[in-house]
Amino acid sequence: MRKAFSDSLMKEAENNPQVTFMTGDLGFQVFDEFSEKFGARYINVGVAEAQLINVAAGMAAEGWRPVAYSIASFATARPFEQIRYCVSYPNLPVTLVGAGRGFTYSTSGVSHHALDDIGLMSLLPNMTVVIPGDPTEIEELFPQVMRCSGPAYFTVGRFGEPRYQAEEPSVLGKARLLKSGQKIAIMSTGEITHEVLKSVNLLHSENIIPMVYQMHTIKPLDTVTLDNLADQVRAMLVVEEHFPNGGLWAAVTQWNAIRDKPIRLQRVGPPDSFILGNLNREDVRKKIGCDAHSIAITCRLLWNQ
Amino acid sequence: MMKTDCPVSPQSISSLSIQCLERKTRRLRATCVQMAHDGGEGHLNGALSCMDLLVALFYRWMKNYPDNPKHENRDRFIFSKGHACTAYYAILADRGFIPMNWLAQYAKNNSPLPSHPCLHALPVLDWSSGSLGHGLGVATGMSYGLKLSGNPSRVVTLLSDGECNEGSTWEGAMFAAAQQLENLLVVVDYNRIQSVGRTDVLNGFTSFEEKFKAFGWGAKTIDGHHLPEINDALNEFPFESGKPSALIAKTTAGRGVSFMEDQVLWHYRVPSGDDVKQALEELGEAPLYFREGNPS
Repeated sequence: MRKAFSDSLMKEAENNPQVTFMTGDLGFQVFDEFSEKFGARYINVGVAEAQLINVAAGMAAEGWRPVAYSIASFATARPFEQIRYCVSYPNLPVTLVGAGRGFTYSTSGVSHHALDDIGLMSLLPNMTVVIPGDPTEIEELFPQVMRCSGPAYFTVGRFGEPRYQAEEPSVLGKARLLKSGQKIAIMSTGEITHEVLKSVNLLHSENIIPMVYQMHTIKPLDTVTLDNLADQVRAMLVVEEHFPNGGLWAAVTQWNAIRDKPIRLQRVGPPDSFILGNLNREDVRKKIGCDAHSIAITCRLLWNQ
Repeated sequence: MMKTDCPVSPQSISSLSIQCLERKTRRLRATCVQMAHDGGEGHLNGALSCMDLLVALFYRWMKNYPDNPKHENRDRFIFSKGHACTAYYAILADRGFIPMNWLAQYAKNNSPLPSHPCLHALPVLDWSSGSLGHGLGVATGMSYGLKLSGNPSRVVTLLSDGECNEGSTWEGAMFAAAQQLENLLVVVDYNRIQSVGRTDVLNGFTSFEEKFKAFGWGAKTIDGHHLPEINDALNEFPFESGKPSALIAKTTAGRGVSFMEDQVLWHYRVPSGDDVKQALEELGEAPLYFREGNPS
């Protein structure tokens, strides 16, 4: 995904001379091509996330179109006040890119786990929040995010993630149908969608065929598609790699709470606690019940009820 | 009471005498005191301490265009110590950026002049302020952006000494030197008083000038109430070739009003009617805007 991102960034910068890129001293060799080609439009501000955001804000105020980049946990929580006061409040077109959200950097410890980033960014007025799940979604959504007139939070994974098949292209603000199905709909966001698709494969032989939607845009939430789906399915399963507060689950339950006929909802995702134990991503997901196998179990229960 | 008869128009300000500007600082200070009383919001310590600096910047050194406030050739200005904005608003009104009668609305319900400056309420501003420690960082972004587009305009930010407690101020200082932002001026209003304590105590009696120099800046320390000295220092900008400049202005909190000077009490105390009367007498000038009962 990082290659898809650096390629997408190059294209944006080639098409728009106002695009600038700043990093909080991360992305070794990933942006060499950008820096060689665009010179001073590339800035390494150092390990200084507050400054990363404030430089982006000042440049946006001068008409530039900044893309600010750091690891997701550092890009969001550390400079939250800078994002709130200097980007979101003046509604400046800054795209904040968080690399490696969720459990991407699982073995690096709690410092590197980003399970609150979507919540923090969704809290902010004017902010668009986009969490792609594969390289294709990066390529399709990044140009759309860069057309936003205000700020956006956009995430990228690491290298080598596979691409998944989908039945629709990625459109900003619209839930993306990956697989048609019936009776229940699985909604997920970001890279955990790969586990969802694996779980659907596991269930196929049992003739359990749920719909699968990738909710790449958390804010604004596509309530039109949710409303349509609610009339077609008996339950929705939300799968997320985020704390229970502030993420996709929170957004979907808020939508559901004010419906005349609320739909049955279930969640698969991390608990409201720090994840200790230094496990790799695969094993963390198993331990906390967010892997394909666990998703399949919940899905089967909903299907058979 | 001495009257101000200094002409004010965009064409004539460069010809104002130092005496005239000094009188103006007293009238602007009187305006701040009146605004704080009328609006029921204060921060007079920091407003009165930075007035001479603002006058030197807005009447002498900065390029600004009251008739076209967002002119691309203007020098950008961030009033980072937003709580002290009675001083900023008074200057904006006196220079013709905003109507004079707005000053009477300071800090009142639904006012274009809230107690911390807001870009949405007052679009003539370059930046909002209220949360401390952002001015320098955002100014570096503006400076970098201007350099990148080949625009020779300069960026000025006025910081309180208290907001130099913020780590983000020093992240910005590091960046400005690394990027050789010669078009950036930071003015520190070193009035030595913070919200509930003394700046020197809180920073361990260390020197701002030495800190900025250690960060790779050109820096000077001056008397921030002596207009000729301020003007001379500004005329030496940039203080060192290829470096950002920091002007450390030693000032007195509550300057010009005897019972406020150097008193932590007056960081955000609102003056009573009697306080206003005494303050205006000491300053020897009337506020800029008319209000019933004002001495005029």
